[in-house]
Formats: sequence, structure tokens, C-alpha cells
Amino acid sequence: MRAAIRRLFGIALTLIAVSVGMFWACASFARRAGNRPASPFATLPVFFNPRPVGVRELSTSALHAIARGGEPAAAAQISLARLGGAALPYVLPALDSLEPRSRERVALSLTKVAVRMEVATPEELSDGAQAVLFWTRFWQDRAIDFRAASVRHLTSRLAERSIALRREDLIHVDTFALPELIAALGRVDSLDDVARIQRLSSVLTHVTELPVACPANASVADAREVVDTWRAFWDLHGSEYSALDGPRRLAATFVETQYGKWLAAVLRGGLGRTQSGTQALDLVTQGLATTSFLLFVGLGVGFPLGVAWIRFERQRRKFATRVASAVAGTALAAIPCATFVRCFAGRSAGLSTAICLVTITTAAWVSRHLARSTMSQSVSPIAAAFSVSAPLGATYPPFVLSAIVLVEVIYQLPGLGRTAALSLVSGDVNAWMAASLALASASLLLRHAADLVRPRPASSAIGSRR
Amino acid sequence: MNELLSAKRRLAWAAVAAALLVAIASALAPRSPELHAYARGLAFAVLAGLSIMGVAFVVALPLGALAASGPRVFDWALRFLCDLVGSLPTVFVAAVFWAGTSSTLRFVCALGLLRGLEQAWLLRCEIVRLEAEDPESVPHGLGRTPLVAFLRRRMSAALGPLFVSASFSVAWLTALDAAVTQAGLRPPHAQPTWGPLLGAPQPSPLPALLAASSVAWLTVALHALFRPPNAA
Repeated sequence: MRAAIRRLFGIALTLIAVSVGMFWACASFARRAGNRPASPFATLPVFFNPRPVGVRELSTSALHAIARGGEPAAAAQISLARLGGAALPYVLPALDSLEPRSRERVALSLTKVAVRMEVATPEELSDGAQAVLFWTRFWQDRAIDFRAASVRHLTSRLAERSIALRREDLIHVDTFALPELIAALGRVDSLDDVARIQRLSSVLTHVTELPVACPANASVADAREVVDTWRAFWDLHGSEYSALDGPRRLAATFVETQYGKWLAAVLRGGLGRTQSGTQALDLVTQGLATTSFLLFVGLGVGFPLGVAWIRFERQRRKFATRVASAVAGTALAAIPCATFVRCFAGRSAGLSTAICLVTITTAAWVSRHLARSTMSQSVSPIAAAFSVSAPLGATYPPFVLSAIVLVEVIYQLPGLGRTAALSLVSGDVNAWMAASLALASASLLLRHAADLVRPRPASSAIGSRR
Repeated sequence: MNELLSAKRRLAWAAVAAALLVAIASALAPRSPELHAYARGLAFAVLAGLSIMGVAFVVALPLGALAASGPRVFDWALRFLCDLVGSLPTVFVAAVFWAGTSSTLRFVCALGLLRGLEQAWLLRCEIVRLEAEDPESVPHGLGRTPLVAFLRRRMSAALGPLFVSASFSVAWLTALDAAVTQAGLRPPHAQPTWGPLLGAPQPSPLPALLAASSVAWLTVALHALFRPPNAA
């Protein structure tokens, strides 16, 4: 029992380390010269973010850029308008610290936010002095509304029932309500949930100005799609609307990274979404059948064939026969024969040719290893196969999986190897991680299975030690 | 077949095989651009294959011996490293190495290191197996076993699987190259190798046939060349 737990713990630890390695591999490959970054998180650090950026940093930076004026102010105005209500707790209290001209510039740049919040019209804020006065009074009256507890209460009430006033209350705090609105989306199982999504999505669409609507006649599936879209938006931009203070800042050093974003998508279920919009888990399910079929046929037929091969080779007395057998075994184990066969095989013969290749290369490879491991010839090939199962179990999986990737790519078989290769090329992180993690799991299982069938001498201290 | 040939003959046989290939390649190279590519690919396969074998031996021999007979931490570390690099098809690891390294030499050394870890594990398993099967053996740490005795008795007997693995180095490299090319993962400005000849969507039959035969030929020659010193 203890050994089983230790083994399972080892597998889990290895898979975590493998996932880190594979993520690094994908990120490194995506960074190679000439590649266009395909991931929306490509601008984030891969594993560690020493300076995560939240709404406080973004709004303060925009405030100073607008206050200074000049060319960078235009981009800062757009940024501030996008940050909206979430930036107000950092921008409005800082207005007093600015000189009058800068103060007016900042107040005027918030006009778009005021209009979106439905608290003023453009005409009311056309003059700089008027705008400053408006925002000073606004903060004196409404600062109390910009509190997480207050917004949470408003959001939960809107999620429960639809009343126009509740919607307006949330619109008045604008993007400051985004974290609570996203959290309130929850699961979608019934038509009541669909109605809740419609109410929340209406506010979300208004404050973000994104065209993600949940129509009046939406089904449960439609509402789920809307929820997924909002969550994807939040994954990408969530930190821009959240204050990163205390433990959240510490957590953000990991969460606000490419790996952290991928892990968050995995923990939500379905292993994330691929570039085509399908769940990565579905991609694995589709590819698993072909790859596991190739793997098990290769293993199930190729391994016994390799044992039979070496048995045959040993029983021959003629030098020429033994040499021919050894040469054939060595030559066939050289995988590029797969590409050689491709010259003569049509695409219609794909799967059968692929099976033959994987089986023959496995048999040849196993036979050569057995030929060397049992050179004294005092041990039967079958006993030798079990005896050397641990080293073969370690070196066989990467060998056979490479062969499988090769034949899947050449014969265009819809397996995990081809999926992983294509997703690595296209920079589809979720598809790559899903396919390669499935391959890694298969490899680890093979390795541990080989270690389990290894005979252990009962009395040997060494056997029990290793 | 190795049992029937002396070490000198095997070495001569492997050298003749390699020389024959080089002669054929040199004769064919001027005839067409594809055959010229074959000749350049042969140079890369031989040099890179030898470099990979060299690096792999340097890594595998001490690491495998320490993991089998040295402190336990080496065994644990080697097992974990092998689990890590062995859990992914080598073709992807090679593709990432190739994309990430600026020079061919670094790429070849990285592959040699990868191969060395695999061979270290083979060596470690073989030493442990031999120790377990030997009734006179007692579990010693490497520090307490006389090094000369360890090298003469255990190491020499355990080198078989390592040599088998080493003899497949050229085939392994070419297979990776072909698979990386076929999967579209080959760097755009990579050195000319056999990968495009074997892994291109529509390979020309003659250079592909020559390259595949050469791989098989070199593998057979290496397989014949390597033999554990004390094998019967």
C-alpha cells in the first residue's frame, strides 16, 4: 500500500514537472524567429511575474501621462476610459494633488466614463472647470458605493431578480463591478440560470462595451457559451480591473503568467479551449483512440515478435543466417524506414502501413536489445524480456511514441502525436498541453507497468533496495 | 554476429562500410542537387552521430555507475530526470532544442545529453540486474568498492545495452530529423541534413532510398563495431 501511494505520488509529481517542461517547450518554440505569437497571453512572463500590473498601477500611470499632456496622453486617455469605474478610486482622490491645468485635462478625459455610467451628459462636462467640480462632488457623494461589499450586494440582488433600478446602480459603478459580475455568472443548468445570465450579461456588455449579448430566446447552451466568453475575457483582462494588494499581489506573481493562466483554464475543466474554440479534452478523446491502438498493437505484437525473433536467431547454426537476422533487425529498427516506405505506400493504406511499421520497428528494436542483454545465452528470451523490462520500459516509450508521431504525421492519422505536432507549430498552447500531457501519461504508465512486471529476487538486498 | 568476429575485424568492417558510403556520396554528389544534398546530409549524419555518441558516453558512464552503486540520491535524480525527458516523444524535445539553440553544435550536444541520460539509465539497470543475479555480490557503495574491480567486473559486463543504444544513434538522429521536418517543426535556416530528403511531403525516390539505406548501413556497422569487452 505504501509502495503504491509512493508510486502514485511519484507519477503525480512527474506529471507536474512534465507539464512545466512542456509549457516551457511550447513557449520557447513560439518565441523562435519568424513566429507570430498566437497565444493571447504571449505578452505575460512564462512562469514568474516579478511585477504584476493591476488597476492601481495602470490608472496611476494613465493619470500621470494625461497630467503631463503631449502625445502619450492620447493613449492614456483611451486606457483610462477603458478602465472606467475601476480606476476612479485611484484617480479621483489624486486629482487634488495635480496642478489646475493637469487636473482639468484628467477630469475631461473621464467624460466618456461619466457618460457610460449614466451620471452626466457630454454637454455638462464640456468645460474643464465644470468637469473638475463634477468629479469632486461625485466622489464626495458616491465614494461609499465603490466598496466591494456594497457591489457584491448589488450584484447578488440583480442575479436574483430583475429590477431596472438594480441594473442602474451597477452601471453607476461601471467596471468596478466587474469582479463581482463575473463571479455571479456561476453554472448554467436551467432556464432560471439563463435569465440570470441575460441580466448580468446586459450589465457586462454595457460597462465593457463588448458585443457579447445573451439574446432573449437563448437556450442553456447559448447561455453557457456567453458565460465562457465572459470568463475568457476575464482571464485575459481580469487583472486590469482588480487591485493587486497584499496576498493577491503575491499570488499574482504566479497567476499573472502564461502557465498560471493555462492552469486556471485546466482547473475550470475541459483542459481549456483550443484556438478553434473546441474543448482541448475533446481533442484528446478524439486522438486517443488512434494513438492507443497503434501503441497497444505495436507493444502487443511487436514485443512478442522481438522475443520470437531472437529465439529464432539463437537456434540457427549457420553463420550467414545469424548475420542476416542481425542485419535485418538492426536495419529495420532504424525508424527512417517509415519515410522510405512512404514512397511506395498510398494514403489509403495509411493505418495498416502505420501499424506494420510500429510493430516491425518495435520487434527489431526489442530483438537487438535482447540479443545484447542475454549474450551468455543461458537465459531464455522470455525470461530475459521480463528481466530487462525496467530498462526497456524506460527507453521504449519515447522511442515508440516518436515512431507513432512520425507515422501519424506521414499518414495523416488523427492521433495525439499529429495533434501535438500541429498545435506546437500553430502555437495553440491548450491543444499542445492536452495532447502532450496525454502522451506523457501514456509513457509514464508504460514505464511503471514495465517496472511492475520486472522480477525481483526475494532475498537480494540490492533488488529490494533499487 | 559479433561473437564470431574479432575486434580488429569489426573495426575494419565498420570503417570499410563508412568509407564505402563516403565514396558513393562523393561520386554521386555532382550529378544533381538532390544527390549533393544527400552527400551533405551524410557528412552531417556521421559527424553529428559521432558527437552524440561521444557526449552520451561522457554523461552515461559516470552517471549510470553512480546511480547503480553510488549514493542513493544519484539513483533518485537519474530516475526523475529520465521520467521527465522520457515522458515526451523525443521528436518534440528535439524540435524545441533545435528551435531554441543558435548553433548546430549546441543542438547536437543537447541531443547527446538527452541520449546520455537514457543510456545512463540502461547502464544503471544492467548493473543492478547483474548485482542481483550474482550470488557472491553484496550491496556495496561505489566508494567502498575498489574502482578497478568495479570497472573490470561490473561495468564491462553491463555495457551491452548501452552499446546497443549507442549503435542506433545515427538512426535515432535521422529519424528525429525526418519527423521534425515532416511535422513542420524544422527551423527555416537549419543545416542541410537528410531530414528534408526523408521527411519532405513528396520525397525524390533515389536520394530518399540512398539516405534510408545509408542509415541502415551505418547502424549495422555501428552495431557490429560495438561489443562489450568481456562478452563471450
